[in-house]
Amino acid sequence: MGERKDVWQGTLALMALKTLEADGPLHGFGIGRRIEQTSDGELSIQYGTLYPALLKLEQEGYIASEWGASENNRKAKYYRLTRAGRKQVQKEERQWQETAAIISRFLSPGKESA
Amino acid sequence: MAGNRRHHLQIPVARQGVRVRGIRAYLIRLSGLFRRKKFEHDLSREIESHLQLHIEDNMRAGMSASQARRQALLKLGSVENVKESYRDRSYVPALETILQDIRYGLRQIGRNRGYTAVVALTMALGIGANTAIFSVVNAVILRRLPYPQADRLMVASLVNVKDPSFLVSYGVADYLAARERQRSFTKLAGVSWADSFTLTGTAEPLRLRGSAVSAEFFSVLGVRPALGRDFAFGEDTPGHTREVVLSDRFWRQGFGADPQAVGRTITLDGDSYTIVGVMPAEFHFGAFGATENGDIWPLMQIVPRNARYPFSLRVVGRLKSGVSESQARLDLAAISRDTQRQFPGPELSGASIEPLQTEITGKVRPALLILLGAVGLVLLIATVNVANLEVARATARGRELAIRAAMGAGRLRIARQVLTECLLVAVLGGALGLFLAYWCVRGIVAMAPAGIPRLAEIGVDGQVLAFTAAISLLSGLLFGLAPAAHGLGSSLDETLRGGAQNLAEQREGRGLRNSLVIVEVSLSLVLVAGAGLLLRSFEKLTGTSPGFNPKTVVTALLSLPPTRYKDDKDIVSFYSRLLDRVREVPGVVSAGISMNVPPDLVNMWNPFWVPNQPLVPGRSLPQAVETTVSPDYFRALGVPLLRGRLFGDSDKGQHDPVLIVNESLAQRYFPGEDPVGKRIKTGDPGFIPTSQWETIVGVVGDVKYGGLDSASEATLYVPYFQTYWPAFSREMFLVVRAESDPKSIASSLRAAVRELDRDMPLADLRTMNELLADSVAQPRFRTILLGIFAGLALTLSAIGVFGVMAWLISRRTKEIGVRMALGSSRGAVLRMVLEDGLRVALIGVAIGLVAALASSRLIKGLLFGIQPADPGTFAAVSLLVVAVILAACYVPARRSTKVDPMVALRYE
Repeated sequence: MGERKDVWQGTLALMALKTLEADGPLHGFGIGRRIEQTSDGELSIQYGTLYPALLKLEQEGYIASEWGASENNRKAKYYRLTRAGRKQVQKEERQWQETAAIISRFLSPGKESA
Repeated sequence: MAGNRRHHLQIPVARQGVRVRGIRAYLIRLSGLFRRKKFEHDLSREIESHLQLHIEDNMRAGMSASQARRQALLKLGSVENVKESYRDRSYVPALETILQDIRYGLRQIGRNRGYTAVVALTMALGIGANTAIFSVVNAVILRRLPYPQADRLMVASLVNVKDPSFLVSYGVADYLAARERQRSFTKLAGVSWADSFTLTGTAEPLRLRGSAVSAEFFSVLGVRPALGRDFAFGEDTPGHTREVVLSDRFWRQGFGADPQAVGRTITLDGDSYTIVGVMPAEFHFGAFGATENGDIWPLMQIVPRNARYPFSLRVVGRLKSGVSESQARLDLAAISRDTQRQFPGPELSGASIEPLQTEITGKVRPALLILLGAVGLVLLIATVNVANLEVARATARGRELAIRAAMGAGRLRIARQVLTECLLVAVLGGALGLFLAYWCVRGIVAMAPAGIPRLAEIGVDGQVLAFTAAISLLSGLLFGLAPAAHGLGSSLDETLRGGAQNLAEQREGRGLRNSLVIVEVSLSLVLVAGAGLLLRSFEKLTGTSPGFNPKTVVTALLSLPPTRYKDDKDIVSFYSRLLDRVREVPGVVSAGISMNVPPDLVNMWNPFWVPNQPLVPGRSLPQAVETTVSPDYFRALGVPLLRGRLFGDSDKGQHDPVLIVNESLAQRYFPGEDPVGKRIKTGDPGFIPTSQWETIVGVVGDVKYGGLDSASEATLYVPYFQTYWPAFSREMFLVVRAESDPKSIASSLRAAVRELDRDMPLADLRTMNELLADSVAQPRFRTILLGIFAGLALTLSAIGVFGVMAWLISRRTKEIGVRMALGSSRGAVLRMVLEDGLRVALIGVAIGLVAALASSRLIKGLLFGIQPADPGTFAAVSLLVVAVILAACYVPARRSTKVDPMVALRYE
């Protein structure tokens, strides 16, 4: 399996939001699996850590949940993005990219001074 | 990317600082508290469905059923951990866990009733004692006087700029000048030094407490009469009708609360006064140095004088807003400098002001603060004791806590749990302590000596409750920290594997407990040393000779009103007839009168000049207590005559004045000479060159007029009869020596006075033994209280040592069994255990001695005839503490020798 990266709690929330934005309503297991797939197996998620993060997002009003049936007719709790969540994803995404850009400039100073 | 935008380096999602979202989330979580069941249920269902989805997924990928389940579980992580962190998110974790901890703590308390009782009682002793003393300190020192903006009220005194510590009251000339010219106070009121008046015209003449006041008095204090009116400004000069304001109490007792009392007249000291007002019930103002409220406040008649003498006015003012104390002092000092220029006399060209509150409570302040400190140490010892018990319990509970940790409880979480339990017990102790304090306060008030101001105000109020709550929580926090830290430090799997026998941990617990005991021992040594010092000085104080024989002596105060005793002839005639009559009373040995009586009633100091000393203008002359006495005063009081003679009827005053001096004056100013026959001058230094020579005819023993603890003061006695003194001092103490019980002649004395003047009360009738006891009442009070606290401290420490020794021995049962099986004698085992205790005691005593030596300087002002570092006291105290600690070790140590080696070896 190699060395897989653990996921920061904070970035996990953004990944969950982004996943919901891209794929539409999903249950917790689906979100976790999607995140791992999107990272091409680079990330490994302890699924248990997902639920507190989802609860937090729900309490903040970025996502909403309801019980529904899964693809093979299992009862599961589905999460979907709210309007506030959609805005939040865009905001977080922009901030994340700006921060990442700054960090990368630090990490490869050659480009910056050129 | 926009170039000039600033970025905070932060993980973006962590910045969900949108305040509204945060609040929303918090509210949901708060509401989650009430929907716990649903939350838990939802979560279980969600995890259940997650697992099924995952298992199915895995099976689709080709895993076997059991493998699929195993994989899904592993990927999920610890279900309990998930639930725990999910719960932390679901509700308000702090609040939730606090409630949970409290519930759990209460269950623990219910399960360990005996243990809880011991801890709560220990804390109750400490907290109760603190609450009691704090309520005294609060009422006497901290709480403001009962006047509006009382912190702006100041008392002014005159000072000699060269010696500003010696305060002199204002004279009339100084007061009049200051009242007119000062700019710093709203108004400046004068209060006379007199503290009582005689009410006549009633069935029995009555002595009323109260001081004459200037017209501004009530408006300076900011309190208006509840009935009638205040004095009007400018009415306090001769020519106006005399007016008086009554206290609510006297109005109720003397007039049955009759509103018509206002406008009536009463006779005080022979003058008739019109009642103009009655103060509200809560108004309180005592005479200088007195704690009781006045009954009456007559309006003063201020007669301008051509001299500053006598200095007999207490000046009270309310600072204008924006004026500081030092500005006011400069203002008044400038005025007294001018007055100094205007009138010859003593060098008093400065002024000093202090808050009225300080003037009233300043004397008892140090002693009370020291008691508060002492009682704080008692609480600290109680806290350490309980901390010790808690550490022992935490060790005993090691397994329970370890299991909880293994179940997924974080270390901090466990520490918080232990702390919560401790706080609960502390609060319980605080509640008990409050109950205890209620009775203690009553005891203290009942036992407190006269002279502690504002005693009536002492009680448990909101501030006291807040104090009690604060110290309860604080001590709970303190004794909870030790076991909480202990729990944090212990290693989980070692505890689980090795049980309580883990040696390293045991050693660590033992070290912590030993140091706690050492702290206790040293703290109690500090207290016991303080109590020992106070006790020794109290012994010395009461053992001090007052300079006379107090047995069977009785004194009383007579004061002849000027209306009926117009001149000195009337006064002399009354007193000589009175003395003749009293001498005829059966059981009376001798009787005299004097202006001052010992042990603590100095009324007058006078400068004097011995001719062999240079008279330098501006340099102050020696001062002596001066008192005027009848010839038999010395015999009645039992003062020994050392040289020369006593006064006789032949001492015909004015042209050939005579004096008797005490031994101290003789030795200090006539060293190596016989003072009898020598001449000196007394009085105002400005007049000394012109005043008359007075001849010393005798030397008597020193009498303590300034209190038993005062140094021997130079004292001058002058004859009363046949001099100008009767006109000057119409208030005299009657001093009578009885054959046996002085109380038995009291009624005969009253009868003798009534026969001569039926309107004359005989006030303050007291035996000399009572006066002596009263004069040491405050030292006795604080010695008793500190003694109680020291006893409490020592007892608590002994209990602490007992607890630790018993615990250690129970831990060493096996070792002791082995030793005894190998042939150790019981004596050797006993010695080994006692040596352990002795080591702890000695280290504690050594640390305590250092601390006690450092802190005993704080009580230097309360000591008499003994140094703060008195070696005898410290040696005795150390021995006492070591003995008590050894005794506390002995009981468990003896039990250890009863160990049956066979049983011990099988133990655990």
